[in-house]
Amino acid sequence: MNTLRLYFKSIGMLLRSHLQYPSSFIMQTIAQLVMEGGEMLAVILIVDRFNNLKGWSGGDLYFFFGMMSVSFYLTEMFGRGITGDFPMMVRTGKLDTFLVRPRGVLTQVLCAGTDPRRITCVAVGVAALIMGSNLSDIVWTPLKALVLVESIAMSCLLILGLFMIEAIFSIFSVKSVELVNAITYGGRSACQYPIDVYPLPLRALFTVIAPFALTLHVPASWILDKPLYGWPAWTAFVTPLSGVLVFGIMTGVFHLGMRHYRSTGS
Amino acid sequence: MSYIEVNNLKKDFVVKKKREKGKLLRERDTVHALKEVSFSVDKGELVGYIGPNGAGKSTTVKILSGILTPDGGEVSVGGLVPYKERRAHVKNIGVVFGQRSQLWWDVPIVDSYNLLKDIYRIPQGDYEARLKELAQALQLEELMRTPLRLLSLGQRMRAELCGSLLHRPELLFLDEPTIGLDAVSKLSLREFLKWENEEYGTTIMLTTHDMEDIAALCSRVMVLGHGQKLFDGKLPDLLERFDTVRNVQVKFDVPNPNLKLPDGVEWSQSEDGIELSYEPSVLPTAQLLSILQEAGNISELTLQPENTDHLIAAMYKELDL
Repeated sequence: MNTLRLYFKSIGMLLRSHLQYPSSFIMQTIAQLVMEGGEMLAVILIVDRFNNLKGWSGGDLYFFFGMMSVSFYLTEMFGRGITGDFPMMVRTGKLDTFLVRPRGVLTQVLCAGTDPRRITCVAVGVAALIMGSNLSDIVWTPLKALVLVESIAMSCLLILGLFMIEAIFSIFSVKSVELVNAITYGGRSACQYPIDVYPLPLRALFTVIAPFALTLHVPASWILDKPLYGWPAWTAFVTPLSGVLVFGIMTGVFHLGMRHYRSTGS
Repeated sequence: MSYIEVNNLKKDFVVKKKREKGKLLRERDTVHALKEVSFSVDKGELVGYIGPNGAGKSTTVKILSGILTPDGGEVSVGGLVPYKERRAHVKNIGVVFGQRSQLWWDVPIVDSYNLLKDIYRIPQGDYEARLKELAQALQLEELMRTPLRLLSLGQRMRAELCGSLLHRPELLFLDEPTIGLDAVSKLSLREFLKWENEEYGTTIMLTTHDMEDIAALCSRVMVLGHGQKLFDGKLPDLLERFDTVRNVQVKFDVPNPNLKLPDGVEWSQSEDGIELSYEPSVLPTAQLLSILQEAGNISELTLQPENTDHLIAAMYKELDL
């Protein structure tokens, strides 16, 4: 509990730091809105042009898009320490200051970064979710709501886990951005559409290596009453747990990597 | 057993060299940052740790504070192995890095302290008492609501010190604490460190390039070079070993004195007179004076030992650093 309190207190402080520069903050937040709005527009154009994509209706597509946006940008908003700032923390020696405090390194990294500008992106995602839900006439039940929350939470952990690969590389001062971006940002772009529109190699990549299909598509399609590959209902509850698995493994590797941390400068 | 025990400490870094033409892989070079350094420090000691850049000072401090894992040897601080029991260990230590801040840049410093209270799990009453005491001793009361980025360098260093001492550490590491500070700030900082050391018996280990820091604060000084410990003892003893040269400035009444100096005395002539340096062990001072008097009427004469910075430079040179 104490750790959670520390996290929210730290985030609150960072928020106040951001608001020290209000005009810059507002401009960047609007820029984010334009960017994510553009992505949404692309989906709207596809829906307008094709009506349906391999059996997925326009509403379904909005729903998938919304799930991905909400998960991805919540992660960037609250996990900025890992998704964005970590290489800088290594370079500037900030990581050293974490190591001399009696708290977990990962906790402190997460406490040291937030990106509140992403709030507009999350809002676009929520709008897409509501649109999709209405157009596809989803009948909400408590179970469906539970799966929705589980799916988003697990996708967040998965995304955090994937970004940790980059963090692990930067512990050894190795630049790996391009390689890792392929499955993080690439994963977001690809997996905001239903997974079964892709050829087998891509599907395999996003099922086995970066399992967005398991944390996001399986439960989302169950909520839409169009189970992916016709899988039974229980899979919608179980497969998302792969998110926490990836996060757990990456946390382990991260701590292993920290043992070989070399630090910088004087 | 002493409070800090370091035995045969070793640390290597692998440095990648630039890739040579025609070769596929870059060659690697191993740099021995520390080769078998041993020392022990008792509780309440104030130790200065000096050496040229790249001697391994920071590496030692980083190992002692649990940031780095050594490649060989044993370390224990208060019975704990820093890199193995990191969290238990760092509860008892405070670290101030001269070049990097531990506080939050854009918020009032008191907010940073408040967060440190949570990080170190300091009880509220204890925190308030300690903060009040430190704020007074470091003259921070007026600055509590000022964001760190608006503080001057000296104020910032005081703010950092306050942050690193809130949890009442037994051991304080200071990495070049006076770097870039003006004379007044330096003096007050030294005074504070002395007070903290005497009042609470806090063991303090500081790395510095400023000999005045050592002279004013440290009862003991350790010299490190090329990853090895070269000296460990009192500052006067260190100076005695290398304090060999005396400088003399002399002005004569006559324009061209007939000066015959023996070998081993370096001298140069300028408009202000003659500057020469000699070693009293080779040429006794009395003998030099009589040589000077024979040369003509002396109008002015100053004699001074070399300052400590020169001494250290001479020492580094002699020890081939």
